[in-house]
Amino acid sequence: MSCLPPNACRLRVRYVKDGRLAYLGHLEVMETVMRSVRRSGVPFEVSNGFARRMRVQFSQALPVGASSECEYYDLLLSDPLDVGDAMDRLRNATPRALAPSAARILPRRVPALEAWAGLSSWEVNVRAPGVNAKSFDDGLGRCLAAGVLHYMRGDKPKSVSLGETLVDYDVRDVPGGIDLAMRTRTGERGSLRPAILVKAVCDCAPLRVRRVGQWHEREDGALVDPMDV
Amino acid sequence: MRLDREDLYARLEPLLGLVEHPSRYLDHEWGAQEELDGPFHVCLIYPDVYEVGQTNLGLAILYRELNEAQDISCERAYLPWVDMGDLMRIHGVPLLALESSAPVASFDMIGISIAHELACTNIVETLDLAGITLYAESRDEDEPIVVGGGASAWNCEPVAPFFDAVLLGDGERALVRMAQTISDARQDGASRADILLRLACLEGVYVPSLYDVVTDATSTRWGYAVPRMGTGAPAVVKKHCVQDFAATEPVSQRIVPYMGVVQDRFAVEILRGCARGCRFCQAGMTYRPVRERPAEQVVDAALEGLAASGFDECSLTSLSTTDHSQCAQIVRTLNESLSAQGVRVSIPSQRLDSFGVEMAASVGASRKAGLTFAPEAGSQRLRDVINKNVTEEDLLRAAENAFNIGYRRMKLYFMMGLPTETDEDIIGIPKTAERVMEVGRRVLGPRAKVSVSISVSVFIPKSHTPFQWAPQLPLDEVHRRQQLMLHSATTDRNLRISYHGSWPSLIEAVLSKMGRKGAELILAAWKRGCRFDAWSDQFDFGAWNEAAADVGVDLEDIACEQFDLDARLPWDHTSPGVSKGYLQREWRRAMNAEVTPDCTRTSCTGCGVCPSLGVANALVGERV
Repeated sequence: MSCLPPNACRLRVRYVKDGRLAYLGHLEVMETVMRSVRRSGVPFEVSNGFARRMRVQFSQALPVGASSECEYYDLLLSDPLDVGDAMDRLRNATPRALAPSAARILPRRVPALEAWAGLSSWEVNVRAPGVNAKSFDDGLGRCLAAGVLHYMRGDKPKSVSLGETLVDYDVRDVPGGIDLAMRTRTGERGSLRPAILVKAVCDCAPLRVRRVGQWHEREDGALVDPMDV
Repeated sequence: MRLDREDLYARLEPLLGLVEHPSRYLDHEWGAQEELDGPFHVCLIYPDVYEVGQTNLGLAILYRELNEAQDISCERAYLPWVDMGDLMRIHGVPLLALESSAPVASFDMIGISIAHELACTNIVETLDLAGITLYAESRDEDEPIVVGGGASAWNCEPVAPFFDAVLLGDGERALVRMAQTISDARQDGASRADILLRLACLEGVYVPSLYDVVTDATSTRWGYAVPRMGTGAPAVVKKHCVQDFAATEPVSQRIVPYMGVVQDRFAVEILRGCARGCRFCQAGMTYRPVRERPAEQVVDAALEGLAASGFDECSLTSLSTTDHSQCAQIVRTLNESLSAQGVRVSIPSQRLDSFGVEMAASVGASRKAGLTFAPEAGSQRLRDVINKNVTEEDLLRAAENAFNIGYRRMKLYFMMGLPTETDEDIIGIPKTAERVMEVGRRVLGPRAKVSVSISVSVFIPKSHTPFQWAPQLPLDEVHRRQQLMLHSATTDRNLRISYHGSWPSLIEAVLSKMGRKGAELILAAWKRGCRFDAWSDQFDFGAWNEAAADVGVDLEDIACEQFDLDARLPWDHTSPGVSKGYLQREWRRAMNAEVTPDCTRTSCTGCGVCPSLGVANALVGERV
């Protein structure tokens, strides 16, 4: 049994974003998680001030339509709680497609998740006529040579530095298209969304995008799992 | 033709990545119905997007009641936004229910909310997208029975041809009875016509196809409805009324939406009905009598509902919450229980004359963002005409109470174009707001940032109100008065004035006054692309004008017509219990600026509801 240490009252929870709930936006996920916490009865801290809000922090936003097996939030607890008990309560109060998969107690003062866990790995399935590993390599090569990827988000022109945000990738042919594994890093001017890259390289939308890992990247390049802090 | 009941989500999913807010179409929310065994399947539809319809308390009540009934499964559907609606048509995907992703046209019974007049084209859009025959009289034997009901069912004639039946009044229990009647009739092998005859025998159920519209010298040009011989349909359909309101389930809202919705909070209906008697207010006439829930029931329901839903705000809803005889006690108890959890307690709007010091402190205990009051008119004379029964002293005292406990912002609602209105009344609107501002600066100091916003809508004459005979102002006159109001205001930038568009208000008035011929206009407007008329970016007045020309009517001519006080009206065959004689008397008193008191505080004022429906006001304490 892992009870809360005297100086620690932060519960870090890993959860999935799956099925049709992949289409939830980040704000919708945040609100849903906060309501799940309230339903669960897990004791949480509330901020002071004009609008008293639950004290919770989330990892980086997942694009609408992308699923994930490794999203995170940190909840500041108002009372000590057994992790297993917390997991049971949260599971029973959360929609299945956002179910918590792991939790642990952390010291109260740790870096904010969103900025700290800046490296993501993705699995992307693209199924489109004429798209194969060779054509993807060629297209991505052209994009990398350009350095910056320009795209539209709604009516707004956006750009992202590929050199800064694309860590590495691996592509392989499958019937009807390609399966792409890639890692991205948050850049100074934003993140690279896999669907944006696929659109730029293949001129089509990916069939499925799934985040399969989030890490903190230490200065020496070593990766730290958010649950191994 | 009835479609097969099958899960079509796989056909919808590829479209989700192509539209705004795909979370509108997902289902699987916390609290959504999972057991869908039926065998009788009902789909309740709010004819607007998910975020507008999801928190409709009426539909939440009906959803729960129907799902608790034996052998009935109830699901929901909302009208897809234009991007998704267009894509669904292109890809041949019909309107689907959320829970099962089954076509709406596969259900046994469809319930569509007649929410407001500007949702009328959306009703047609809903039926068309679902693949259900638009006109009830042309529907196949096996098509769903389409039932309407809701706040604006009180002149349902313009949409009546699209409905097989319309439920008037309180829906809990009555809608279940309708579903059971249809289910039994289907099992008996009854024809569609026989099902409608059976429905017409139920209290509060109006079956439009059993009535002919007659136009003669006693009526307006829109005629009046008379039951067809031999059908047994009543000459006047009285509303269904739940007398033992406090015995109904107080926690109705079980579904917790994923996306941000309007009124995104847990709501408890703490009372139903209002007897203040505002002469423009349709809800005030049609939801009588007044029925309160006891304080303990409200508090328990709020705590239970918040724990089960996870919302961080609880709204105590009703037509006039601060009139509840135990309101202050309820708010105080909830604040004591909830403030440590960061949960707010809110009241939709406050009556000026019941917003005392204690209420100000209670409502403001958790949040002091702003307060909303509705003086409605800019002079005492006009407030007496509309029977608002509040004075400027009430307003200034309420404002002082609010500023004293720390509020800085106030919003005031007014109407323009009320019967007998003069330019002085218009000029009085900004002047009233300026006096509220002066109170704020006196209480909080001359340099305090106090802001007062006024929002001015255009009066729309509604059926079953004392002003049902009144004309709407012509458009040019609305525009002139709007300018007069703007030019009468000071240039203080902390006084903000906004007003509703005159054109949507004109359409609302047209559909409030027309009879069954309104269906032709609605259909013509829809064919010209009108839908989501309540959304300013979608509203197309030009298309409505073209539609009017198509059917040979003039919109302004309809809206601005004054009806004769003795004329038979298009809605006279439906009754909320308030007698026409009472409404006529109230109209005459209005013309003399005579006020009528609230019968929950004095004696009976003779509206006729109690003897007509066999009901009575049910208060849990004394109102002061």
